[in-house]
Amino acid sequence: MIEVINLEKKFKIKKKRKNNSELDPREHGGYFHAVRKVDFTCQNGHILGLLGPNGAGKTTVLRMLSTAIKPTAGEINIHGFNAIHDPLEIRKQIGFLSGATGLYGRLTAKEMIVYFGRLHGMDALACQKRLESLVDILEMGSFLDRRNDNLSAGMKQKVNIARTLIHDPKVIVFDEPTTGLDVAAAEAIIRLIEQCKNEGKTVLFSTHHMHEVERLCDSIVLIHEGLVTFTGTVTQMKHQSGQAQMDKAFLALIGKEDLHVA
Amino acid sequence: MLHNILIIFLKEFKEVIRDRKTLIFMLVLPTVAVPLLINVMTEFMIKAEKKAAEETLRYAVIGESNLPDLADLFMQDTGFQQVIIQDESEIREAIADERIKFGLVFPDGANQLIVDGGQPSIKLYYNNAALVSRVKRRASQIINDYSDHIRDERLATYGVSGGYARDKILNPVALEELGTANQRELIGERFGGMLPYLFIIFSFIGALYPAIDLGAGEKERGTLETLLLTPVPRLHLVLGKFFVIFSTGVISSILSVAGMGLFLLAKGKNVTGPMGEILSSISAVDLALVGAMLIPTAAIFAALLMSISIYAKSFKEAQSYATPLNMLCIFPAIAAMLPGVELNWKTAIIPITNVSLAIKELIKGTMDYQMTIVILTSTSLIAGALIWFCTIWFERESVLFRE
Repeated sequence: MIEVINLEKKFKIKKKRKNNSELDPREHGGYFHAVRKVDFTCQNGHILGLLGPNGAGKTTVLRMLSTAIKPTAGEINIHGFNAIHDPLEIRKQIGFLSGATGLYGRLTAKEMIVYFGRLHGMDALACQKRLESLVDILEMGSFLDRRNDNLSAGMKQKVNIARTLIHDPKVIVFDEPTTGLDVAAAEAIIRLIEQCKNEGKTVLFSTHHMHEVERLCDSIVLIHEGLVTFTGTVTQMKHQSGQAQMDKAFLALIGKEDLHVA
Repeated sequence: MLHNILIIFLKEFKEVIRDRKTLIFMLVLPTVAVPLLINVMTEFMIKAEKKAAEETLRYAVIGESNLPDLADLFMQDTGFQQVIIQDESEIREAIADERIKFGLVFPDGANQLIVDGGQPSIKLYYNNAALVSRVKRRASQIINDYSDHIRDERLATYGVSGGYARDKILNPVALEELGTANQRELIGERFGGMLPYLFIIFSFIGALYPAIDLGAGEKERGTLETLLLTPVPRLHLVLGKFFVIFSTGVISSILSVAGMGLFLLAKGKNVTGPMGEILSSISAVDLALVGAMLIPTAAIFAALLMSISIYAKSFKEAQSYATPLNMLCIFPAIAAMLPGVELNWKTAIIPITNVSLAIKELIKGTMDYQMTIVILTSTSLIAGALIWFCTIWFERESVLFRE
C-alpha cells in the first residue's frame, strides 16, 4: 500500500528567475513550490491514476515516491517503510517505468535486465529464472542477445519493462509509459499494467491519455499547480466536472473547459 | 559493499570496452602515439643537430681589408660562404630574411692595432633566438683560433712559449671542476621533464571519455535515474564508477609507458645525441617505477573527471568543463620542466607536480625512494577527498536533476 500524507516539495529559484516570481503562484519566498500538501493512498491490487497537465508536479511526486528526491515536508509510506528513513527498503519494493527512461546501448537486452536484477540483490540463479519467465511473458526471445542500440522502440520498451519487473516489485510506478509507442506496443503495456493489478501489486499510473485512465484506473488523483484538485473514481470525476467525456472532465477540473476537445 | 561495487564495475567496464572511441583513446593512442612522438622528436633533434653542424653558413664582412688575415681564414673554410653586403646597417635585415647567418664588422685600423699590441673589437651579428644553432660556436671558433695565434706570437716576444709557460701566465690559479652529476643526471635534468608530461596527458585522456560517459552520458540517456532507484547506496555507485574511470586512466598511462619501452627495444640503440643518451640510460625497472608513479595521478584525474561529469547535464557540457580541467591538470605537470623546481618534502605533497618530479628523478636516476611514501599518501588523501566529494554530489538533487 502507498500512503502519501501532506507531501510538499520546494526548489530554490535561481537568481535570474526571481524577477518573474509574480507570474506563477507557486513561486514565492525565493522558492518554487512544486508540490503542495498532496495526500492520497493506493491499496494493494489497485491502480491509482496520477493525472495533471505538464508541469503540474506529477513527476516530482513520483520522484519522491521512488526516493530519487526527498520531500521538503510530509510523509510517504510504502508497505510499512518510510521513504525518508528507509529509502533502500523502499527501492527494493518499487519498480519504476518511465517513457523517458533510456537503456544502456552497448549492453544486450539480457545483460541489462540481469544487471538490474543483481543490483536488487538477486543471485544469479534467481535472476535467470525470473528472466526466463519475463522473456516468455513479454515475447523477448528473438532479441534478448541483441545490443539495445539495435532494438526498435517497442523492443526497447519491453526491455525496460523487464528491467522494471526483474526483482518482482510489490509497487510499480508507470510514468507515461506509452509515450512515443505505436498502438500495438502501447496495448502490450496496458495489458501488462492490468496483469500487475491482477497479481495484487500496487500500481501508480501517470498518463496524458484519458482512454487509458478510463480503462485502467480504480481511482484518480488530479494535480494542478502542485495541489490536488480532485480525488475519486473515473465516474466521480465525470460527475464532479459535469462532463461525459474524460478529456473534457480533465480540462474542466484544471480550469480549461473553454478549450475545444474533438 | 564489495559485491555491489563489483557488479557496477564489471557492467561499466564492459560498456567502456565496447565503445570504439574509448578504446582508441585508452589503448591505441597511448601505445602508438608515445613511440611515434618520441621517434619524431628524436629524428627532428638529430636532423637539426646534423644540419646545424654541417650547414654551409653564409656570412658577410664589413671592413674586410681592416683585418685581411682573419677574413682569409673564413674564406678558406669550406663551411662558410661569403655574401657581399655594403653596410653594417644592412646586416640585421640580411639575417632576418636569411640571406646570411651571421655578419662580421672589422673596425678601421684593426690590423695596425694588432701590430701595435692593441685589442681591436670585432662585432659578430647572429640570431641568438634560435634553439638549435651553432652559428656563434662555429664563427667564434675561427675568431678564437686567430686570437690565440696572435696571443702566442705576443707572448713569444716576451720569451714565453710553450703551453705550460703560457698557461701559467694567463691562468696563475688553475680551477679544476669536478662535477658530481653523471651524464644521465645532466641529460635527465635537461630533458627529463618532458616525459612525465607526456605520460600524465595520457593518464588524463584515457579517463576522459569513460568519465563523461558514466556520469553526464547516463544523465543524457535517461539511465542515471533508473540506477539511482536501485537499492544500492550512492557510495557504492560512485566507487563502482570511479574504479572503472581510474582503471582506464591507469591502463592508458601504463600503455604509454609500455609504448616508450617498445620504442626503446626497437630503436633505442640507434638514437644518437642527447636524446639517445637519455633513452639508453632508462632501464625496464625505471619504466616499471614510472608506471607505478602514474597510478596515483590516475586516481586524482578519475575523481576530478567524475565530479564534473556528474555535475554536467549533458555529454557536451561535460566536455566543455573538461577543457579547463585539462589545463588545470597539465600546469602542475609542466612545473617539473621549470628550472630550479626539484622534488623535496614540500613539492612531494603538491598533486601531479609531485608525480611529474618523481618521474623526472627516476629518469635522472636520483630518486629518493622515501619520497614515494609522501607522494602516495598525499595523492591518496586528495583522491579520497575528491571521491567523498563525488558521493556528496551524487546525493544532491540539485546536481542530479539540474535543469
